[in-house]
Amino acid sequence: MGLDPNLIAAVFWLGFSALVLLILLIARGRTGVRSAETRQLTAFRDLRRIVGESAEKGGTIHIALGSGGIAGEDAMVSLAGFQLLEALAADLVSYRTPPIVTVGDPTLLPWAQDVLRRAYEARDLADLYDPNRVSFVAPSPVAYAAGAAQFLDSEDVVANVVIGAFGAEVSLITEAASRRGVSQIAAAAAPQAIGTLYPATEHLAMGEELFAAGAQTSGLRRYVTSLEVQDVLRVVLVAAILASVLIAFLRGSP
Amino acid sequence: MNLVRRWIPVLVASVVGVVVLLGSLFRANVWLVQARDLLVDWAIVLAGFALLLGILNILSVHGGRVVRVRKGWGYSLVLLGSATGLALVTAIQGPSAASTQVLVDMLIVPVGTALAALVLFVLVGAVFRMLRVRRDAASLLFLAVAVIVLLVSTPLVGWEWLAQPLRDWFLNVLSLAGMRGLVLGVALGTVITALRALLLGDWPRERRNVGGK
Repeated sequence: MGLDPNLIAAVFWLGFSALVLLILLIARGRTGVRSAETRQLTAFRDLRRIVGESAEKGGTIHIALGSGGIAGEDAMVSLAGFQLLEALAADLVSYRTPPIVTVGDPTLLPWAQDVLRRAYEARDLADLYDPNRVSFVAPSPVAYAAGAAQFLDSEDVVANVVIGAFGAEVSLITEAASRRGVSQIAAAAAPQAIGTLYPATEHLAMGEELFAAGAQTSGLRRYVTSLEVQDVLRVVLVAAILASVLIAFLRGSP
Repeated sequence: MNLVRRWIPVLVASVVGVVVLLGSLFRANVWLVQARDLLVDWAIVLAGFALLLGILNILSVHGGRVVRVRKGWGYSLVLLGSATGLALVTAIQGPSAASTQVLVDMLIVPVGTALAALVLFVLVGAVFRMLRVRRDAASLLFLAVAVIVLLVSTPLVGWEWLAQPLRDWFLNVLSLAGMRGLVLGVALGTVITALRALLLGDWPRERRNVGGK
């Protein structure tokens, strides 16, 4: 009985990715901070300025983490959103302007609350932590988007950050933010969400750029190294595609 | 103490993740598949508790807003009333009772559909707003492609000879090529993030100051 070629490809790709990741982590070190010089994305470049401005205005930032849970196919997209939340929460809690976080999947709720609570504890401000700053809105994506838009209308929000698993319904959130004229930053992986986010904001991270959020905002070495591994693998993937095209061309088969 | 608080949860999560991954890859191995199914079942139970937490969170957030008469408290009151009413009907009649189904079919489904339909109008508004503030080449290209695809997707009587191939080319060549590139990029990011979480137990949990300041 022969082995499934798809299984071999998957195992090879996972093993190769893990190897590159481990080699770079060992070579560059896992802890500490370094600048994310590999890429500078416009979506995240102005984020720190926006955070500072929101603190000056005494307002807060709304962070929408989407409808992807931590157990489904969107888990890693949600994880990328949490990296951004972790970085922003640290700054915003320091400024005493904690963010309002909305989630569209209940499994994200305790995790988001935990990230926010730890940000308070790290600054010895545990007494000020309010778990209701994180809200589970609704389990259906459209209802979640409509409910999250309501938070933008009713709270003292001066900036809107949308990152995670969304579909076209995300435009309900960005429309509410546009009506209030607040700054917006968005990052999405799904093509439907990207298409609707494009006209809403010029600070848009598309597709794989979403996974650069942690590196761009926190500068933590493990995130930056991870971004570098992504770049290495992309080059390998492109080379493999080109090689397969060349081989098919030389063999004269489609 | 640090070992228990910090590394044991990381170890447990990593081992569970690796077992589920291996169980999904090597489906011929009965032990791995059984272990994967058991762990996934546990995850489903945990997700059920998370939903309970989510409902309590909704009651707490919106209840607080109503009690403190904060902006938007009226909407919160409607939400709490609707949720309580539906919960009562479901608890008394049962989830598959006719009255419960009527509420779902006549209230929740139409409202959801109406909201989804609203997305189209919101998008048109966003495009007009974009053209006011961003008149660059990319925005114009975005608009041009959207208009062309919309036009060729409508039943243009007498112009089918042009509309059909143009639509096919946009959807099957341009759009598909872009989508595949996007999906490959996302897959790369997903693999690396997943490996970092699985092998290094690396997820946002630590006490750090942003930017090392």
